[in-house]
Amino acid sequence: MNRRDVIKNVALMLGGAFSAPTLMAMNHWENPTKSYPSGATFSLTQTQRSIVAEIAELILPKTTAPNDVSPGAKDVGVPAFIEMMMKDCYLQPEQLSFMEGLEKMEQVKFLELNDNERKGILKYLEQETKAEMKARQMKQTKMGDNDDHEDIKKVAKGLPFWRLIKELTLLGYFTSEEGIKASFEYVQIPGKVENIKLKPNQKSYAY
Amino acid sequence: MYLNIKATKNNTFDAIVVGSGMTGGFAAKELTEKGLNVLMIERGREIKHPQDYDTAMKQPWEVEHRGKVTAHSAEELWANKRFGNLANDESGPFFTNDKDNPYIEKRPFDWIRAYHTGGKSMHWGRQSYRFNKEDFEANAKEGIGIDWPIRYDDLAPWYTYVEKFVGVSGQKEGLDVLPDGHFLPAMPLFAPEVHFKKMMLEKFNRPVTVGRVANLSQPQEWHTKLGRASCQYRNKCVRGCPYGAYYSSLSGAIPAANLTKRLSMLHDTIVAEILYDEQKQRATGVRVINQKTNQVEEYFAKIIFLNAGAMNTAALMLNSKSNRFQNGLGNDSDQVGRNIMDHHLGVGATATVEGFLDEYVYGQRPNALYIPRFRNWGNDKQSYLRGFGYQGGASREGWSRGVNADGFGSDFKQSLTKPGQWTIGFGGFGEVLPNPENRMYLDPTRKDKWGVPMIVFDAAFGENEIAMRKDIMNSAMEMMDAAGFKNIAGYNRPEVHLGLGIHEMGTARMGRDAKTSVLNAFNQVHSVKNVFVTDGAAMTSSSCVNPSITYMALTARAADYAVKALKKREL
Ligand SMILES: Cc1cc2nc3c(=O)[nH]c(=O)nc-3n(C[C@H](O)[C@H](O)[C@H](O)COP(=O)(O)OP(=O)(O)OC[C@H]3O[C@@H](n4cnc5c(N)ncnc54)[C@H](O)[C@@H]3O)c2cc1C
Ligand code: SF4
Repeated sequence: MNRRDVIKNVALMLGGAFSAPTLMAMNHWENPTKSYPSGATFSLTQTQRSIVAEIAELILPKTTAPNDVSPGAKDVGVPAFIEMMMKDCYLQPEQLSFMEGLEKMEQVKFLELNDNERKGILKYLEQETKAEMKARQMKQTKMGDNDDHEDIKKVAKGLPFWRLIKELTLLGYFTSEEGIKASFEYVQIPGKVENIKLKPNQKSYAY
Repeated sequence: MYLNIKATKNNTFDAIVVGSGMTGGFAAKELTEKGLNVLMIERGREIKHPQDYDTAMKQPWEVEHRGKVTAHSAEELWANKRFGNLANDESGPFFTNDKDNPYIEKRPFDWIRAYHTGGKSMHWGRQSYRFNKEDFEANAKEGIGIDWPIRYDDLAPWYTYVEKFVGVSGQKEGLDVLPDGHFLPAMPLFAPEVHFKKMMLEKFNRPVTVGRVANLSQPQEWHTKLGRASCQYRNKCVRGCPYGAYYSSLSGAIPAANLTKRLSMLHDTIVAEILYDEQKQRATGVRVINQKTNQVEEYFAKIIFLNAGAMNTAALMLNSKSNRFQNGLGNDSDQVGRNIMDHHLGVGATATVEGFLDEYVYGQRPNALYIPRFRNWGNDKQSYLRGFGYQGGASREGWSRGVNADGFGSDFKQSLTKPGQWTIGFGGFGEVLPNPENRMYLDPTRKDKWGVPMIVFDAAFGENEIAMRKDIMNSAMEMMDAAGFKNIAGYNRPEVHLGLGIHEMGTARMGRDAKTSVLNAFNQVHSVKNVFVTDGAAMTSSSCVNPSITYMALTARAADYAVKALKKREL
């Protein structure tokens, strides 16, 4: 699938949700974005922070449905967490691809789009990322005695923006105090290990 | 540079133990309990059990980077980082800073170190399996390396002795390939694992068992006496256990030695050299350097146990030069530093499991399933020698499955609050053959910041290991297929080197002949009778099972011999 097909597919999925300016902006998707001097420290502008926050909230929104009342990514501090993690735990390749992703969001004027258009952009990103991750031959492996490990073929280019922001949103949310307590049955000290039957609609345990 | 030699008398003990880790702790316990005054010398900082496990009780949201390794930590712990997430906020502070303690890689060697009270016993995976009869005989039968000077039956009672003290949870299976031990109640296998076990027996006649692990599933009176309590199944052992529920030098051996009131301990004290008396033909003591103040001092004892971890023990011997031993203490055979072995890992397969969707687990099992060696065993014959065991297990996917799955939004969010499908994965631990060309030595010019020569590693996997790795991956895939699992994916990580198994061993091997080995059948240096080496350096072959319980059994046996010899005035 080439990029044009991806756009078409996503547009179809959404029933033509893209506005003309969005589609035009996406046509410039692959134009090189501003390059960052090597060794530059990672920092976000206010606009970029807002974009990160809006995307995180779209990934894990606050929900108030009767059967699911739970905070959203913004409520539990995910946006600041993402910025801290990008700064502390990633090297330049990832930081660059994260910035590149944000630049693209600025190009398509993400913050000015309506909800549906924003989701369309994310769907597009998701499809694009899938193809790229496939090329990286990601594998889950088990290492050592009891340790899960993710094996991703090393390439010079950093992991794609969508993959980074999605992983960090999930990590930040599902390990936050409010996120854990709203989503799972949190048990700090289980005291035993045993096989049990899953009850209908039972939430996962978190430890 | 002998700056400060106090009166010999003040610095004199019955025994000196170098290193406070898995084997040093055990040596100190045995020697003090048998009546000796012991000085245990540890190069790293002091960790007090359990109050210094400062990350142990942290809730997930209190761990700043939530399990990920920071770029800073990855740089400081550059070797440790090769293993995975050990360098993260939870356990990183307990591992050795590789930047401050560099080593040289002529060929790559993944060296994971923990310089502090308890050494790597604080972080081990606690998997504890006996060597089998064949493991002690294979070298001689196949003409590989040299013969072990002992047999399984020599060690069997000491295995029992150590297992009892340590507390090993496991299932008796009655297998020759994986001898049973003295076990506490076994932990459960999970539903898909029970299915897998049944299928493996049916289709391949291969036994599968639950891991044998040094966690107290049911503490005995001698455990509680030391303040050790029952496992709470949090599986956060790598941070240190606040309940002392898994065995470490810190939770078990050192408290036991302290009860005798005959243990003295020094921290932040690097043993740089073993002192040798040419007249008496005995070691007299050690020269140490304080890692904080650089102050040099000497300590003296009748016997010395070297338990600095296989690589550091060999380095210490190589650095102990005298007229008599120009190539390092006890190194007449030129075998000190050679025959580095380990277990090769990072190879196996993962799969998804269909069904079992009403099955779930409460609690976190700090353990895995174990598939004992089946290659070159019984009627099986391969193009390579020896074999491997697998460790791994099944679990239901959690929220992290969302990272690589399509979707976002409220339905996506809610779906991640429920357990996902079952997945299963296991990886091999393969035996490594001894090869004298796989070695470490001291760099002739480069020194660390305390003026001690740096270690150079020059070792790599051989053809036998590489051939075995292919089979480890393929056999894992074949077994998963036979069990009906789906989406089977094999892996064989190319960037794995010797060392990554963290079972490094072999650098001062035991043997029958002083010309080809360093130690005798009681871990005594052939040519310096009052020096004993009972860490992994002593190993003549590696088997494929996790080695620490064997190191401890050798230690207890050697300590028994040493004290008897001392009493008979032979030492
Ligand atoms: C993550 C992990 C998982 C593991 N899983 C398992 C497992 O499941 N099963 C198993 O059997 N094994 C396992 N191991 C390996 C196990 O930890 C080692 O085999 C064991 O700790 C070795 O004991 P040792 O006494 O030789 O060395 P260590 O425990 O490393 O202790 C050596 C001590 O000596 C000190 N020292 C070093 N040099 C000097 C010197 N010059 N002067 C003074 N002191 C010195 C060190 O600071 C250290 O405290 C694992 C290890 C790790 C890190
Ligand atoms: S799983 Fe058991 S041994 Fe491990 S930290 Fe928890 S209580 Fe301690």
